This record gives sequence, C-alpha cells and structure tokens, in this order.
Amino acid sequence: MAGIDPKFGEALKNYGAINFNACYNCGTCTAVCSLSTPENSFPREMIRLSVLGMEEELTSSLKPWLCYYCGECTTYCPQTANPGELMMSLRRWLTSKYDWTGLSGLLYKSLPLTIVAFLLVAIGVISFAASQAFNSETIMHYGHYFEMIAIGAVFAFILFPNIIRMWYFVMVRSGKKLSLTTYVKTSGELFIHMFTQKRSLGCDDNQFRWFEHFILVIGYLMLLFTTVFLDWFGSQNLFVILLGYVESALIFIITVDFVKSRIQKNREVSKNSQPSDWFFVIWLLLMGLTALLVRSFIGLGIIENNLWMYLIHLTVLAQWALIIVPFGKWTHFLYRSFAMYFEALLAKAN
Amino acid sequence: MNGPSNQLNFDALVVGGGIAGGEAALNLASTGYKVLLVEKELSIGGKMIMLSKVFPTLDCAACITTPKVSEISRHPNITIFTSSEISSINKIAENNFEATVVRQPRYVVIEDCTACQLCEQACPVSVPDQYQYNLVGRKAAFIPFSIASPKAAAIDIENCVLCGACEKVCPTNCIDFTQEVETFQVNAKTVILATGFKLFDPLMIPRYGFGLYKNVITSMQMERELAPTRPFNTVLRPGDGKVPDKIAYVLCTGSRDATIGNPICSQICCMYSIKQAQLLMGALPMADVTIYYINIRSFGKGFDEFYQQAKGMGVNFVKGKIGKISEQGNGNLTLRYEDINEGIVKEADHDMVILSVGVLPNQDASDFFGQDELQLDPYNFIHQTDVLASPALTSIKGVFVAGTASGPMDIPDSILSAGSASSEAISYLIQE
Repeated sequence: MAGIDPKFGEALKNYGAINFNACYNCGTCTAVCSLSTPENSFPREMIRLSVLGMEEELTSSLKPWLCYYCGECTTYCPQTANPGELMMSLRRWLTSKYDWTGLSGLLYKSLPLTIVAFLLVAIGVISFAASQAFNSETIMHYGHYFEMIAIGAVFAFILFPNIIRMWYFVMVRSGKKLSLTTYVKTSGELFIHMFTQKRSLGCDDNQFRWFEHFILVIGYLMLLFTTVFLDWFGSQNLFVILLGYVESALIFIITVDFVKSRIQKNREVSKNSQPSDWFFVIWLLLMGLTALLVRSFIGLGIIENNLWMYLIHLTVLAQWALIIVPFGKWTHFLYRSFAMYFEALLAKAN
Repeated sequence: MNGPSNQLNFDALVVGGGIAGGEAALNLASTGYKVLLVEKELSIGGKMIMLSKVFPTLDCAACITTPKVSEISRHPNITIFTSSEISSINKIAENNFEATVVRQPRYVVIEDCTACQLCEQACPVSVPDQYQYNLVGRKAAFIPFSIASPKAAAIDIENCVLCGACEKVCPTNCIDFTQEVETFQVNAKTVILATGFKLFDPLMIPRYGFGLYKNVITSMQMERELAPTRPFNTVLRPGDGKVPDKIAYVLCTGSRDATIGNPICSQICCMYSIKQAQLLMGALPMADVTIYYINIRSFGKGFDEFYQQAKGMGVNFVKGKIGKISEQGNGNLTLRYEDINEGIVKEADHDMVILSVGVLPNQDASDFFGQDELQLDPYNFIHQTDVLASPALTSIKGVFVAGTASGPMDIPDSILSAGSASSEAISYLIQE
C-alpha cells in the first residue's frame, strides 16, 4: 500500500483537475453515474485516491477509462468538486504515466513546450521542402511515404511499448494469472470497443454524442486507409476519389461541431478544455479541411502552382503524426479500448 | 380607512409569531413593555406548533407550545395581529420606528367565533390543507388547525365560491364578508425580527421524484403524521394508504448542496430524522427504518446519546447520499446510492421515502427597511454584526434578530436567541 502524498493533488491540477479537494465523500457522483456498477463504482473512489495522492492505486486503475464523461456527476456534485473533470484529468495523467518517453506529461503540463514542438515540426517540414527545392512531385512522393513510415514508427517505438506498460500496471500488478487462450478469446472486446465505443451508449446524455464520435472515428480511420493504402491523392479511381471527399468532409463537419460546443461550453464535457483538447480537435479539423483542399487542387490540376496548400497539409499531418498521435489526446483511442479489454479479462479472472 | 384608530403606539414591534418571536414578545411584555406581535399566518405558534415531538427529550411539541401560545394570547401587554405583514419600517430616530402593517381580512370576527366548526361542515369547497402540509383536505371556511391560536374560523377567499352557506349556519353571526384590508401605522421604540425560515422545496431536486412519486414525502409531512393532532391517526403512505414497513430517510435534501444554492448545514435535519425514526419504531414496531446520511451531526447537549439510542433501537444508518430515486409499479421506491464504507454503488428498495428537507432563509425582512440597510449574511440570513458577543444585534441599531431569522438553529437555540434579543431590546429601551 502506497503512502499518502498531499502534493499529488497539486500535480494533478497541471492536467486540468479543478476543485476536487472540496469533495466531502457523499457519493452522489457515483450514485448518479449511469456507468457505475457494483463491480466498478466510480468516480468518488478516484477522487479519494487523488486527494490522498495514492499514485500506485491510480496507475493500476482502469476506472478513469470506464468513464465516458456525460458530466452528470459534475452537474449534481453538491460541493462543485467537478468529478467529471477529475476523471478527464486522470485520463491525461494516466496517458503520461503509460508513456515511457515522458514527453506526454511534459506536453500536457506545458503549453509553451507544446507550441515549440509544433513549431519545430513545421520548421522541419519547410526545411525538407526547401531541401527538395520545392519540387512538388518529390515532396508529394516523400509525403506519401512519410505517412506510412510515421505510422509504423510511432506504433513500434511509442504506442506499442506504452500499451505494454499499461498492461504491466494493470494486469501484472493485479496479480491475476490469465492464460494466453483467455487473452485471445477475449480479444473481440478490444476491437468492438475500438471501433464502436459502445460503452458510451450507457451514458444518459450520450446517444447523439456517441453517433457523432462514432462517425468521426470511422471517417478518420477510413480516410487514413484511403490516403495511405488507396493513394487518394494519386488515384484516378472515381470511387476512391469520392470516398476520400466524403470522409474528409465528415471529419470536417463533425470536428466543427465539436469545436463549436467547446467554445459555447454547452455540455459538461466541453466546459473545461485543456490545450491538449483544443489541439486534438482543431488538428483533426485541419486534417479534414486541408486534405479536402489538397485533393480539390489536385483535381483542378493547380497543385503544382500552389504547393503551399500541400505544405500546409503536410505540416498539419506531420504535427498530428509526430506529436498528437504518440503523445497527445489521440492515444485515448487505444487506451480506452485496451482498458475495456483488460477490464473484461479481469472480470474473467475473478 | 386610515382613521386615527389605525395609528398605534407600542414599545416594541415583534415581527413573526413563531416560537422565537413569541418568546421575545413574552419577555418584553412581562418586563412591562407594550408589544405588537405581527404574524402573517392565521395562527401564532410558527412551525413548532405543527411538530410531533422535540429532540432529544421526546417531549410533546404541542404540549410545550400551546401553553406558551395561550400565555402570549392572553398577556395584557401583547397585541397580536394575525394574517398581517409588514410593508415597511422606517427608523426616524433612535427609539423611534415607524412601521406600516397590512392586515388581510379573515372574514370572521375572531372575538365572536366559538370555533364550533359548523361553517366547516357547511362549506362545499375542498382544497389541500396547508397546515397539514397537503396530506389531507380542508374547507374554504375552516379552523386552521385544532390547536391554532386564535382558535377561530377563517375564510379562504381565494377558494371561496361565495355561496353564503357558512354565514347561514354560523350561530353567532361572526362571518363578515365586508371586511377589508386594513393598514396600520405603528410607532414602536424597538423592533425584533423573528421571521424564521423557509423549508426547502424538494421539487427543486427532480431526481428525488417528490411531487411525482406519491410515497416520497417531506419530513414536515411525516412530522404531521406523527403529531398528536395528526391527520390519519396512524402512519401511512399517501400513495395507497398502506402502512409502510421499510422506510428511508434522505438526509441533506436541500442542505450542504451548492447545486440548489444552499451549501450550508441546516443543523436540525440529522436530529429530527433520528427523532422521527425513534417515533416510527414506536408507532410501527415491525418497520425497518434506514437513514442515509453524509455525516451525522449530533452536536448538542444530549444529541449524541440520542443518536446512539436510535442505533440501539435498531435504526439502520447508512453512510451515503441518495443519488436518485425511481418508482416501481407497486409504488415502492428504489434508492440508488454509494455505500461509502464499502465504496460500492448500491440500490435499495423502500416502500416510503422521507426527504429530510433543510432550512432556507426567509428573506422577507430585507425588504422592510427604507433608508437603513438590513444586511444579510452570504447565505441570505439576517447578518449578526457581533455574532460572538451580542448575537442579537443587526446592522440597524435598535433592530434585533431572534431565532432562525439569523441562521439555522434548533428550538432550544431559538429560545435562547429570543432571550438574547429581548434582553438587548430592553437595554436599548432603557438607554433612552
């Protein structure tokens, strides 16, 4: 059992937690949460552990990932301790704990550092373009390869080790022994949750939010597939071209709505935005928008004379792939699905 | 209307005829001062006269209140105005307050009424009885309640159909539909504010289903069910008249809750709920009573012993605030909460739920004063300018506060506070 660390709460505030020390342990949050079950009761326990600074228990807990932030806990909290935002902050904190490079934590905590990182990547892209004498054909050729290489490298060196660390914190530390066949047999859970986020349908508010998010995830994954493997920018196939347009348009439309609700703060989930949330949703929006524009420029045959458009797209893409995917909010896509997978495994072990 | 008879002079004006205002008025009157006691309801006695028993002694509330109320009514130095409200108080100088008091017509000459109840029987109109907290009905011509003071009929003109049936049966001809609103100019040398508190309205928390689920009632309604003058003469649930055998108390309904704008403790709910639980165990020996709480605050003299006594009697105490209540087909209720000691979310079934509603400020008094500002505290109770040394002082010299007008407190503290206010008022009167 870990000791008590009152300073932990201060550290957590850097990840966006607000006022959780006001909690007087009435349990209203847990009782109104529609995802809370007798097996997995939260969020009050997480608030208690955060107040006491019991890091080890928090690191090995899956509960932050079991919350899909409908915000009812925050709406009804009699102490305005904002449990919903604490859960969100714990997810950010866990992301940084899983990350072996430690960069996630640095970027979450420091906005200047994040901006520097984005600038460095932009400078890198422009320098690369300059080194190629702004030749559109070679740049677009390498740009296409960059996507594949970046995806492979980020997965192999960052995300895969991080998932292993998550597995270690959660599964190994739990002391539960599970056979490989159980892991294989249960793996369906992983993919179901990865592609449907069906658990969030359990939230009281969530039917439309779930639908938007679902379309966004599917649109994003398909656009990735269309550009990387179907070579959207180079393809002459009408179906592929139209498919890409539809996907990028969907991403743009949905992210515009997400940005709008973060500006209007009209839902609990969008009331407290950290820089990482803004970057994630805005860069996703820019990806959809710039991809759409680049493909239109190609279709109109004006991309050679307007290479700046492609360079903007490549910059956005590089920042996305090198910063947001490995160290930013993108990772929740993986951790949430693995959390559901591990949760199903732990349930089997009991 | 505003003839010379409407110009009245008193030493002290006491606003509010509950237990605090009544006590303060008695103290002043017994010292020889002339007091005007202004009460907006039809009867004095405030909320205490409606209660069943008091904690932690389990004395009968009515048996303490009624002798006091009749002493107030019969005291030669006290004039009582019921159905009357203050419209303004102006401080002209020290020891010189000018108040305007508006008295609503009762349509009954109090002195002539014998409370024979013939008018009640004759009246064809039935409406919910606010003095029984809407558990039962009453007529539009009615005696407010059996131990009311003055014990005289009144006509509820809002609901009256003006059929004249009451007038015909009244043996003393005391019903007078020609009565009008009266305005009085009152000169007083000092003012005591004993405007009391308001009960929290649980309609503000829709997830508890009050008003929607018939078997969810307030603690004040249960207080009526347990009182000697109770409406049903037994404890039953309003939905179907069944005698409940699994009763739940939801503490901190409208207290310690920033979401409804009242973040402070009401100070009385833990104890009155424990009291009601004990009374229920006496009334319904086979019933299970569970109290869901955040913290039990049994801080006063004899309070913790009272709490332990309830535990010993078998009252079930569960740490965890109720998150939401849902109704089953048979009228039973499912309560969802986190059992804090186990850290597990649970659901429990009960056949009757009592919401232990909290104390909210009555802000009426803040509008009385013209040029002088009556300061309120951050929670909109009357601000006590010297809460430790002279707790009855307000921001206006010569105006004193008694009872729950200054904040949540129980009956003994209200009476103490009234004693303090009357002493301060007397010393202010003597200084002149």
